[in-house]
Formats: sequence, structure tokens, C-alpha cells
Amino acid sequence: MSESLKFLENEVQIAALLFMSVVYIVRLVWIFRFKFKKERTFPAGSSKAGIGYSLMNIAMPWAMESTRKKPWFYVQFVIFHLGVTAAIMATFIIPYRPSFFEVKIAVKVFQVIIGAAFLVGILRLIRRLTNPALRLINTADDYFSLILMILFFAAGVLAVRNKFRSAEWPLFLFFGLTAFFLIYVPFSKICHYLYYPFTRYFLGRTLGHRGAIPPKRAGGDRSSRAEEKGGL
Amino acid sequence: MKHKKNMPSGIVDAPLETKSQDQARLDQIPSLGQNRLKIYRPNADNVGSFLRLLGQRINRHLALSLTACVHCGMCAESCHYFLARPDDPTMTPVYKADQIRRIFKRHLDWMGRIIPWWVHADSPENDEDLNRLKNVVFGACSACRRCTLNCPMGVDTGLLVRFTRGLLTELGIVPEGVFNVSRDEWETGNQMAVTEEEYLDTLQWMKEELQAELANPDVDIPVDRPDCDILYTINPREIKFDPRSIANAAKVFHVAKEKWTLPKWGWDQTNFGLYSGDDNLGGYVARNVYEAAERLRAKRIVISECGHGYRSTRWEGYNWAGYDQKLPTESVVVTLQRYLREGRIKVDPSRNQESVTFHDSCNIARSGDLVEEPRWVINRVCLDFREMYPNRQENFCCTGGGGLLSMVEYRPLRLEVAKIKADQLKATGAKLVCTMCHNCIDGLTDVIKHYELDMRVVQVLDLVSNALVIP
Repeated sequence: MSESLKFLENEVQIAALLFMSVVYIVRLVWIFRFKFKKERTFPAGSSKAGIGYSLMNIAMPWAMESTRKKPWFYVQFVIFHLGVTAAIMATFIIPYRPSFFEVKIAVKVFQVIIGAAFLVGILRLIRRLTNPALRLINTADDYFSLILMILFFAAGVLAVRNKFRSAEWPLFLFFGLTAFFLIYVPFSKICHYLYYPFTRYFLGRTLGHRGAIPPKRAGGDRSSRAEEKGGL
Repeated sequence: MKHKKNMPSGIVDAPLETKSQDQARLDQIPSLGQNRLKIYRPNADNVGSFLRLLGQRINRHLALSLTACVHCGMCAESCHYFLARPDDPTMTPVYKADQIRRIFKRHLDWMGRIIPWWVHADSPENDEDLNRLKNVVFGACSACRRCTLNCPMGVDTGLLVRFTRGLLTELGIVPEGVFNVSRDEWETGNQMAVTEEEYLDTLQWMKEELQAELANPDVDIPVDRPDCDILYTINPREIKFDPRSIANAAKVFHVAKEKWTLPKWGWDQTNFGLYSGDDNLGGYVARNVYEAAERLRAKRIVISECGHGYRSTRWEGYNWAGYDQKLPTESVVVTLQRYLREGRIKVDPSRNQESVTFHDSCNIARSGDLVEEPRWVINRVCLDFREMYPNRQENFCCTGGGGLLSMVEYRPLRLEVAKIKADQLKATGAKLVCTMCHNCIDGLTDVIKHYELDMRVVQVLDLVSNALVIP
């Protein structure tokens, strides 16, 4: 392996990762500087249950009409994010556990997952370009972020073989994109995963306190339960 | 806002009407002098004020809803506006939310301040832009929060719409109907400008009717009676257009041997602050109710059937008013459920023979906690109950929510998108649609009339009162 590739896989990645972490911390501090509203009402439900339900919503496609009615879209979402996870894992495995990708089946599994995510990325790009409602709201950042992800997946499929002796360019491409990602992500829509737990937390907290979520089962009798807890 | 030139024009292009505001200024009404009611000032720096308020009022939940959207478009098909107008991309919740989001990005977020074009960040340039924003948030959204519950990220678009309405209300850039109702609520303490004399006369009239109906001179509709178990609060619409609902409640309370009262002041549980986004108005009206309960040493506040009234008085009002809840506060439907459960009232369901379906009010089902309770009661007081689909938290708005019934300029669009509701109602085949919301009564009645459906609207109390066995 060339020294420059080794440098890209290690020092450059660590520096980019540190940069991303610092920006994320600043971003969270920025969000938390906005005021927090105190709740003054008696509960009719449980904030904790609401938060739990809200956070787990992502794993419950039946819970929302939007995902229940579009199972294929939900499957795409799962594949895409599994691909993201696999590609990120690869950025650590390749430099620090290279022996892992000497096992052929491991390479195949990663290639299938990341390759499927690549295809989903293409489908999502087509959707964004052809759906008038999405075209109207989509920004340059939305398109750029998605195209970057598609490229990242493509590079990931090639890189996980880790055959630097035969050709280093797939690894240069993959780690070059990774470093760029780490720097760009905190400024792009891709950092939505940073906000996700907080957005979900606040929604779950408010609606859980009110007993609106988790949804009641038919025949439920919240009034008497809340009364027992001193609520209503 | 440069982007608007390239956009389809689905949003109603209603000018800012200020006749009522001009009249209020001429009349020098007290709430204007007290700087509670806000009017439009054409020569003021309204854009500057809007941006200053945006920075001051934003809270953490709102900031997260503004930053977390990924533009996936999953909210689109949860919105009755978009479902009714699928070819109009300006009808999606995300498009509507983006109208405030792009301003937030331009002035408060990072990338938008540096490279605005990259993230569609933009700023209003003049009052015309603010008026256009008014037409989006007041005219093309009933703030039903159906999209909120269908957003994978948990973005609360309903909350963003209300927040934006609040900023515009502060500048007087509001539909005339919103101004008029806000003025009445500030001036008279209730949203229909009911005078004390009219209020007391109507209650007296209903008391006499009820005494005659039950042939019992002891039946009472008490006002300002201290130390009661229940302080009953109502919607001014009940005084103006539907006093029978007060008599129905009084009849049930009488049979249940309830110790109850209405307050002379602080009886309006409705709250236009929820619709206008004005937390000050919301807090003022809600505090009137809470202080009435405190003054009369009531043990519980009971809210008559009203969706936004329930949400405002039970949930939002305490927070707007900065008033820690001290008393249990419940919908009258929960009270009815308790009476039935405890055997304090008996009912004969065979007296309600017609088929009944139930319409969940958005403010109660999605922003509140009552979905099974009304069904529990209805199933005991009628013979033929049929669910509407979708229902509960997934129900569609009556299309008159968010204060839209008071905004005549948006009525044609409202009735056009009400097709979704009309189809939903028709599919039940029911003769009666029951709802626990006075606003929904008017919204649904409009839909039924416009789409010529063979059904009428009732409330839970109507059904219970009809089935009530008088001992």
C-alpha cells in the first residue's frame, strides 16, 4: 500500500472525523440555545411511553399511514440506510481490520448491501427529478447530497474488496469521498440523523404526555387510568 | 422572495383586507390602546419586525422542525389539500412549511446565511411577500396535524403553521375574519361578542324550557354558584345558535344529581388564539376560565363538546397563560362516560334508531387524547354505530378547522378540498355523523350541503340526551 493511501485512510479520516464531531457539537449547542417550553398540565398519558413510541416509530412501518400505504418505499428506506451503515463500517474495517475483507463471503455481503443501496439511491434520484411536488421543494443540497451518496455507494462496492495491490484507485476514491463527506455532512441535509432523536423526542414527549401516543387500543378507557394517576 | 415567480399559483391570492382594522382604529377600541390587539401599519418596517419576532419567539421544538426536514415528500398524501389537488405541488405540507423554513434558513441557519441559493433560503422583501405568506398559512392549511403524525422525522408542520400565523398576527397581516374574532375575544372575553345580558337571558330561557320538558320546577341552570363539583364551560356558538346543547347538558347533570355551575365570566372555553397563533390572546382567554374555577372554588373544569376549545383549555391554555394546572380539566364526553360507568344515568339506545358514524376532531384525536371515550359512549346510546375510515388519529379534518370557517376568502378552496371528507362520509352510509366539536358541526354541515349528502350532524350530548331515561 502506498504511503499516500495509508495517510488518506488514517490521518485524513481522523482529522475529518474530528472536524465533523466539533461541528456537530457546535450545531447541538446552537439548537439547545433555543428556549425550552415548560409543560404545566396534568398528564393524561406518559411522556416516557410517548418518547419511546416516537423514537421507535422508524421501526414500525405499520404505525404511520404514510409508510403503511407505501411498503416498497419503506423497504427502500431500510435498504438505503443499511447501505449507509455498511459503507461507514467499511471505512473503519478496511484500515483497522483488513483481515475481515479477506473472507470472500464478507466482501460479498457488503457488496450486495451497498450495491442495493446504490440502486435505491438511483431510484430516489429519479423520484426527486420526476415528481413535480418534490421538484418544487428540492434544493441543490438535496440533489447534491443524494448524488454524493450514490457515488459513495458505488465506490464502496469497489473498495470493500480491498485489493490495493492490484489497484489503489477504488480505495482512493472511497476514502477521498469519505473525507469529503465527513466535512460536508454537518452543513448538509444529511445531518438529519443528528436531529432525528431530538425531533422525535419532543414530539413524543408532548403527545405522550397528552396520551395521544402510543395510540390507545379500541375499548381503552384512558380517563379512568389517568384519573388514578391524578391526571385529567 | 425571488422564488415565487417560478411557482404554480395554487395558493389563493387574497389581498390584505383592512376595513375592520381601520374601523377599530377609528373607534379607538380599548384592546388597541392596550396594545393587545394588533393592526396593520403600512408605513412600518413590517419585514424587519417579522424577522425580529422570528428570532425572538422560536423555541427548540420549532427549531428542530425547521432543520430536520429531508424533503422526502412523505407528508404529501396525508394532506387533504394535496389529495384533492394531486397535480398542484403547492398543496403539499412540506411546501407550505418551507415558506417559513426558507426564511429561517436565510436568517438563522448556517448554510442559508452563507450560500442561500444552495438550500432555497430566502427572505421576504416587502409586505406583499408577507401577505402571500399569510395566504399560505391561513388559507391552505387547517393545521390538522395529520402530516405531523405521518412524518418519518417527526417534523411538526402544524406547529410551524401556527407559529407563522402568530408572527403575522403580531403585524396585523391576517385575514379579516381572524382580526374580527380576535377583536371580539379581546373586547368581550368571548369570540362571538355575546353580552352578559344575552348570556344570562339565554340560560334563563333554556332553564324554563327544561323545567317545562321535565315538568319539574327544581331543574336549574346555575350561574356563579360557589363550591360546585363541576364548573361547566361552553362555546359561544351554543348561546348564539345552539342553546339546546346547554339544555341537554343541564338535563344530564340534573339526572346525574351533579353539583354544577356555569360562571358569569370566564365561560368561553373556545380560544381563537389557537388559530391566530397569538399566545397572548390564548393565555388571556384560558386564564379567564381557570380563574373563574378558582374564584368559585370548583373542583373540576368540564369543557362542552368543542375540539379546539378542548385542546386550548385542557392542554395549550395552561402553557400560554403560564398557569400551573390545579384542577382536573376534562371534556363533557369523559364526564358522560363516568356517569354511565357509575350508573348515575341510565340510557335506552333504542331511542336512537338511525345509523350513526363518528367524526374525530383533529384537535381532540391528534393533539389531544380522546378517541375511545366518545365511541364508548356512542355505542351505549345508539343501536347502529358505523366506523368511518380512516378514523381516530388518521381521520381527515372536517375542513373547517384552523379557524378557516371565519375566513371567507378561502371558502372555495376549502370546499373543493372537502371532497376527501365528503367521500369519507358518504362511504359510511350513515344518516347521522356525530362529532364532539362545534367547529366540526359547521365544517361538516358545509360539506354535507355542498356535496348534497343525505345526512345530518349531531353531538354526543344530543344522542345521550335523547336516550336518557328520566327517573
